[in-house]
Amino acid sequence: MSDQVTTTVTVNGHRVSRAAGPHLTLLRWLRDVAGVTDPKYGCGEGICGACTVLVDGVPTSSCLVLAAQVDGAAVTTAAGLLEPDGSLGPLQRAFHAHHAAQCGFCTPGMLVAAAAMLADGRRRSRAEIRAGLHGNLCRCTGYGPIVDAVEAAQAAQPGPAAGPRRDAGVGGAGAGR
Amino acid sequence: MTGRRRPVAAAAAGIRTSKAGELRVVGQPLPRHDQAEKIAGSTRYAGDLAVPGMLHARLVRSPVPSARITRRDAAAALAVPGVACVLFGEDVPHNVIRIDVPGQAVEVAALQASMEVLATGRVRFHGEPVALVVAETEDALAEACDLVDVDYEALPAVTDPEQALADGAPAVHEQGNLLGEWRIDRGDVDAAFLAADAVVEGSYRTQAVDHAYLEPEAGVGWLDDDGVLTLRVATQVVEHYRDVARILGIPESRVRVIAPYVGGGFGGKEDMTVEPYLALAVWRTRRPVRMQWTRQESLLARPKRHPMRLRYRTAALADGTILAQDIDITADAGGYAYLSALVLLYSAVHACGPYRAGSVRLRARCAYTNNPPTSAFRGFGGMQVVFGYESQMDRLARRLGISAADIRKRNALARGDVLPVGQVIETEVLLAETIDAVLARAGDKPAPSGPRKATGRGIACNMQSYGRLVWLNDSAAAWVGFQLDGSLTVRCGVPDIGGGQASSLAQIAAEVLAVPVDEITVHFGDSALTPLAGTTTATRQLLMSGNAVYEASVRLRDAVLRTVAEETGQPAEALRMEPGQVTGGGTLVDIRDALVACRRRNVPIEALGTFFGPKGRPVVRDLRADRVFPDFTFGTHLCDLEVDLDTGQVRLLRYLAAHDVGRAINPRSVHGQIAGGAAQGLGMALLEEVAVEDGVNLAGGFFQYLIPTATDLPDIEPVVLESGEGMGPFGARGIGEPPIGPPCAAVASAIHDALGSRPTVLPITPERVLACAAQSRPLPGQDRVSRR
Amino acid sequence: MFTKPFRFDRADRLADACDLLRRHGEGAKVIAGGQSLLPMVNLGLVQPDVVIDISRAADGRDITRDDGYLTVGALVTHARLAADELAGRAQPLLGAAARRIGNARVRNRGTLGGSAAHGDPAAELPLVMVALGGAYEVTSGSSARTVRAEEFHLGYLTTGLEPDEVVVSARVPVLGPQWGWSFQEFSRRDGDFALAAVAALVRSVDGVIVESRVAAGAVGDRPVRLGDVEAALSGADAAGIAGRVGPLRGVRPAGDAAAGAAYRAHLCRVLVIRAVEQATRRSAEAA
Repeated sequence: MSDQVTTTVTVNGHRVSRAAGPHLTLLRWLRDVAGVTDPKYGCGEGICGACTVLVDGVPTSSCLVLAAQVDGAAVTTAAGLLEPDGSLGPLQRAFHAHHAAQCGFCTPGMLVAAAAMLADGRRRSRAEIRAGLHGNLCRCTGYGPIVDAVEAAQAAQPGPAAGPRRDAGVGGAGAGR
Repeated sequence: MTGRRRPVAAAAAGIRTSKAGELRVVGQPLPRHDQAEKIAGSTRYAGDLAVPGMLHARLVRSPVPSARITRRDAAAALAVPGVACVLFGEDVPHNVIRIDVPGQAVEVAALQASMEVLATGRVRFHGEPVALVVAETEDALAEACDLVDVDYEALPAVTDPEQALADGAPAVHEQGNLLGEWRIDRGDVDAAFLAADAVVEGSYRTQAVDHAYLEPEAGVGWLDDDGVLTLRVATQVVEHYRDVARILGIPESRVRVIAPYVGGGFGGKEDMTVEPYLALAVWRTRRPVRMQWTRQESLLARPKRHPMRLRYRTAALADGTILAQDIDITADAGGYAYLSALVLLYSAVHACGPYRAGSVRLRARCAYTNNPPTSAFRGFGGMQVVFGYESQMDRLARRLGISAADIRKRNALARGDVLPVGQVIETEVLLAETIDAVLARAGDKPAPSGPRKATGRGIACNMQSYGRLVWLNDSAAAWVGFQLDGSLTVRCGVPDIGGGQASSLAQIAAEVLAVPVDEITVHFGDSALTPLAGTTTATRQLLMSGNAVYEASVRLRDAVLRTVAEETGQPAEALRMEPGQVTGGGTLVDIRDALVACRRRNVPIEALGTFFGPKGRPVVRDLRADRVFPDFTFGTHLCDLEVDLDTGQVRLLRYLAAHDVGRAINPRSVHGQIAGGAAQGLGMALLEEVAVEDGVNLAGGFFQYLIPTATDLPDIEPVVLESGEGMGPFGARGIGEPPIGPPCAAVASAIHDALGSRPTVLPITPERVLACAAQSRPLPGQDRVSRR
Repeated sequence: MFTKPFRFDRADRLADACDLLRRHGEGAKVIAGGQSLLPMVNLGLVQPDVVIDISRAADGRDITRDDGYLTVGALVTHARLAADELAGRAQPLLGAAARRIGNARVRNRGTLGGSAAHGDPAAELPLVMVALGGAYEVTSGSSARTVRAEEFHLGYLTTGLEPDEVVVSARVPVLGPQWGWSFQEFSRRDGDFALAAVAALVRSVDGVIVESRVAAGAVGDRPVRLGDVEAALSGADAAGIAGRVGPLRGVRPAGDAAAGAAYRAHLCRVLVIRAVEQATRRSAEAA
């Protein structure tokens, strides 16, 4: 019980440990305390998706979780999808190839959401991809090119992943509606 | 399509231009140079910059729409540890922002409107800024803002523009509630109505909508090493440095505005947002300051799209020829003028649509109210009227038994026709071709998916100007310069708000100078370091800065070619630029050697280009002008949808959007603008409304203000036609705003097709759809004005 | 965004949270998934002094079946509930409702206990709890009690929780033989707050409705059982359902900027019919 808490989080593979007020959301902690600015503030309501990060692999609105609550977790942002040499990863290359970013503000959150969706290796239809991206708002593109990019990335990736089943709740819950 | 017109500037200078078939880079769907950084997540938007020692600023805003301020006390706020200052209006050196109200006769309204930076005596809208708090931390700011003590004494509020214009309404401003009025009077409207075979009437209402860009307003300001007040803000206009200088009472040369990549503008970052407040905080504290608006603050306080009431009476002959339009438009300007008078001017000029209108009587008025203020939003008044004129075309078509497509083609404008305002259409109009394009691609209307469903198809056409009003003496400048290794630098003040504004310039320069696109760097959006190119608004940047870059590039190319000609003895006409070299007539010179030769001969290897927009006389209230806008973009959209007859829910099945873009400099960017604009229009058609009750803005967040998600939209299919007839470089037309116009009318048209009755109020909610379904189909030959 | 600072404490077990609530007093709020609390904090609607984190508590995470009942721990997330095979077989209405909550990110963190304690009239899980006649187990640390859902959800953001109590689990009857179920919700976009929602269970024999439980949400300040509809449905066959559902007495929603009162009531009736029809079909399939 204190006015400052030390939160240690591994962000895109780098361990970051900082003390800050416990009232800071993970979004504020990442941006203002840890200097990680690719997750964006868009609404503070968990609706726009611009703040989407993975927390231990699970897509999360970083504006709706306190940093203190995820002490010890691994956090992945859009920058975490880059190759080790800093070049664009496969999903990002697909976004680039399909002109999926205009103003680019929704893009980091959109990438994380799409990456989580693709991680289970399932082959999704365009409608299912749209359902999976339902929680990420874009005001510039009309979503078409983003769906194109995810579809292309999906086609390019190998078969179903062997990893443990995650409670991502993505695609299953919304699909087919 | 047919032919290709030379851009105006090039033609005037007699400069040789490439033929259509020889374009190397223009017309290629190149990835934009800003894409990679945005996708990597490394682009730093206005709110991403952190400066050491940075303070934080926030506004305290009026919680009521109409009141007198009776007391303001900062003592409790100042006592919070970490608070640097609390400013009221009296602390602002010149506490006023002046806005011209063009074209107004004094008997209509004041020629200049004004608003305070921070309100002192009176507040006129819910959310009006009253105090500015600056503190060391956001935590201190949160405490202190709550402790700024302001007392308000409620004043009568007026919340309906028509009531505001009636006698005895409470005055929002001293000079009365009529802010602006435009009239068009052409031909003999009464005679035309008497001669008509059919008259259809309609009353339509459009709602207040919010830009809802993903990036809320933000910026960081500081004093640089020379004491120049520098603001790095999400803006569409770097020229606001002048307004900031005026407010602070310092020379314009002592203020600098930098526009980084903006996370969406759509007109919402056209007026100043954080600029004056950030500047005040920096100027007062002498320290760097950041200001970040919350989404809720943005929904509350940013000026919205003008809600309008549109009354149309349209007269036509039995064959569908329009004889006359009698139109009355009333718009809600909210508490302050902002750009309302200009928005209404656009409405007036666009009110009859892309058609020959015969005789026209039009009155367009905007009224002050205590509702949320209204200003620029993609389409800028030319957008709301589409709902009016296209609804009328559909009604006429049904009344006369003519198809929706045929009645539009019959009346479509053509080169040489005169708009009601008096402007002659000087370019080719491909309206019929865009109608045919969407119908050909759409195929058959889909059947309903179940017994309690109905499907409908609608089309809607529009025209939207590109380029600014001609009497504004618009211009844009750009600097293009070679580096010694043959790479190229472009400097241009254009803000890039996501529409590829900056990368288009690279593509144009690449075409003329044959420098590979990835060897071109564009520095943009800096009022001190890049030549000013004006606002990224009004669909003007491709026309203006595009032509400026084109012109500078052409001059630069010609200088290099002339130099090589002198060096080699080859005639200049035989030489051309190619990637990395100059070739022709058996000669091949490395570009680096050519540049060295230029320097040896005192030939500059850079050029500053300025493009001046077309000119015209200022308009007056009674509109009669031979030119108002440089040109227009035309298009047609088609919408297939399905209605659930029990809930009224609308599901979009298919959406096509065809526009003649003149020339697609970058087809990807063009597709992006068309799809994005249509999506935003569909949001306004079906989902979006800033709910206001007694002047109180009820849009509390994205849980209430609903914009389309990925599951609300089908794949929007852009259909691009290229007449080559635009006034932009390589014959391009502007495409930023036009696609937002047709969707509301296309959806209403499709619902009419599905249900036999048409919605006349926006947004078309499921509740309103059910009300339409409940109305019986009109009997043949009869028309009905839909009532809610 | 501009939240006033608050302090942070953590409970390793649900019962410990009760002690902390007592210690910190009125300005303390429990946070689990945070998907209801933090939006309100971010919008400045709630300003706690202390937040007590139970998101990592060791208990409250089980989904178990015994004796004709399904028990779901308060810390089970909506995503997990939606995907859980045991819950899906035992009482599918729960998972069907959980799938409709918010967006995927909300479902990844939001919890059953959190949704119950928040008490939003449009919330899906409280509606299902009322329809099922379920009950919550709540603890004050030293003692526990069981509260029927209809007595727990008292009004707008108001529940029967005492200031020092937390929800431990929810208990619902397992779907019996011959029973069918349906969850229907209408919102402007997927995942938005419902304008109307209905949960229905029907037991039919040879195509005739013998028994039903129908509840509506988002049309009042709390979920409401539609007893008159249940009575009217008795003896109905599949084709006759719509005719038996008249205007819904006791459903008097308030109109607002999002939707008018008459439309909401109409929607509710449409959803009741759809829900009962689907539940009846499922009942027939179960036979």
